[in-house]
Amino acid sequence: MAHDTERLGDLLDSLLPVLVERLHETGLGEIEIERDGATVRVRAEDLAAHVPSASASVASRAGVPVTAAAPTAADERRHPVRSTAVGFVKLAPDIHVGGKVAKGSLVATVDVLGVAVEVRADHAGIVAKLRCASGDPVEYGQELFLLESVGEGKL
Amino acid sequence: MIKRVLIANRGEIALRILRACRQLGIEAVVAYSEADRESRAVLVADEAICIGPADAKRSYLSAPAVISAALATGCDAIHPGYGFLSENASFAEAAAAHGLTFIGPSAEVLERFESKAEVRALLAKHGLPTIPGSDGVVPDEAAAAKAAAKIGYPVILKAAAGGGGRGMRVAQSADELAQHFSICTQEAQAAFGDGSLYLEKYLIDTHHVEVQVAVDKSGTALHFGERDCSVQRRHQKLVEESPSTALTPKVREEFLTRVAKAVGAAGYRNLGTLEFLVGPDGKPYFIEINCRIQVEHPVTEMVTGVDLVALQIRLAAGELMPMTQAEVERRGHAIEFRLTAEDPVHEFRPQAGEITTFRSPSGPWVRFDSHLYAGYEVPPYYDSLLAKLIVWGNTREEAIARSRAALREVEIGGVETTRDFYLGLLETPAFLNGTATTSMLDTIGTADILAAAPKARV
Repeated sequence: MAHDTERLGDLLDSLLPVLVERLHETGLGEIEIERDGATVRVRAEDLAAHVPSASASVASRAGVPVTAAAPTAADERRHPVRSTAVGFVKLAPDIHVGGKVAKGSLVATVDVLGVAVEVRADHAGIVAKLRCASGDPVEYGQELFLLESVGEGKL
Repeated sequence: MIKRVLIANRGEIALRILRACRQLGIEAVVAYSEADRESRAVLVADEAICIGPADAKRSYLSAPAVISAALATGCDAIHPGYGFLSENASFAEAAAAHGLTFIGPSAEVLERFESKAEVRALLAKHGLPTIPGSDGVVPDEAAAAKAAAKIGYPVILKAAAGGGGRGMRVAQSADELAQHFSICTQEAQAAFGDGSLYLEKYLIDTHHVEVQVAVDKSGTALHFGERDCSVQRRHQKLVEESPSTALTPKVREEFLTRVAKAVGAAGYRNLGTLEFLVGPDGKPYFIEINCRIQVEHPVTEMVTGVDLVALQIRLAAGELMPMTQAEVERRGHAIEFRLTAEDPVHEFRPQAGEITTFRSPSGPWVRFDSHLYAGYEVPPYYDSLLAKLIVWGNTREEAIARSRAALREVEIGGVETTRDFYLGLLETPAFLNGTATTSMLDTIGTADILAAAPKARV
């Protein structure tokens, strides 16, 4: 049994970020995958409630009303990691979709006139979506990537 | 050549600079703090960039954040507006080191004109009369007492690095000077990062008169007439007008010519304002120079027809003066009212909150510079300026009559404002007859001025 739980954990670690990424990109409502006798199903409705704040501010700037979605359980698991300064961003090597992030770890630096300002993760999780690339100019508070926390209890 | 400007300021001046850039065909990016995300300049701009949190020290006052934002958005120049980093020499130097044009005097010029105490001596050398004062900065209380005894009381202690009416205290006696010295040093240190003080003879019943100048890189210096900013409350300007009622035509022209000549010869460059006190003898005495665009610049724009912000940008880009002194014609009379989020009924207590209704005045010869709109949240972090109403008339009387009409059209709901105070001021004899001095509000009092306001519904 211990072996099964571990196997399931590994499976989730490798599959979940890919599924999440796929859902975002395709706009599909739900993806289900079966592997090694286990079934993983990811539903978009949980994810759709998340409105990235960067695009929200752009939309409101253009005069389009932005309706705030009610927070869902999925929202609580998704954490945007934001820039702590204005400048040029450099992501840490392990920041790619599917990459694991430990709470408090250094996930990026923002170059402010040659000074590297640190960005640290407030939560542990898996990178679900990148919103910038190394070398991009970023503003203060800009969303750099989305982190999906994987609650241990739910595995 | 300037192609793309980062506007490193907020409120109405960010909007004003944006307009000048658009008129000149220059791209503009508005830099803003998190508290100003919904500000009108940000909404109206083609591009905007968040540079930090609400705390100005980490946004509008952060040189690295502002310069980094300029680089991140591909700007080649920074307009600092007024306040914040606008007269900061090390900021101007850092900007230049990163290949950015600072729209204002160069770092070197700012440094030379930075210390108020030294500038007094410099301009005195170039022929401007100054008020008797200490010979530069007074290093300690004993030196201050010695200088004060020589000048005679009352004296005013001023922060050498000061501005905006802050860090100043009047001492009527040696005892008071002793009391104020350390407080004033601490205040100056807290406000400007430099506790150095100097002192001047404190003149009572003076008009505050300032001269708008512009100097190109070759040293050609022009003046654009004077502004009278005598209506003040605790050294904060409330109303500004041009021309001043305190100068006779004979004194005025000789004075203005002398100022332009002195400031050019002293090595000043770009846009600037020289402030003077005009005593009962009708003669102006130099007090300080402001190395930036000023809040009250529209008054001068209304009487000269010169776009001062556009001129400032062109001079910073290295252009030569596009006009001669003879081409700067001054016509009629203009008055500006600073409408602020302050409650005049309660000691001008600052206000913050949502603007529920907003109606701006209009009509001929009325200009209204404001960043407000209904639904806008006035943040509590910054200064309280909401709008500037500027009105022009052929004569002072006509400008006043039009100001009354325009002020009554102003409707700003949700916060208390100073509108009714100005309506009352426009019924106050001391203002109407042009004799208002900087101490008027101490003698007349806010309550009496408010009581003079017409009670009619807007």
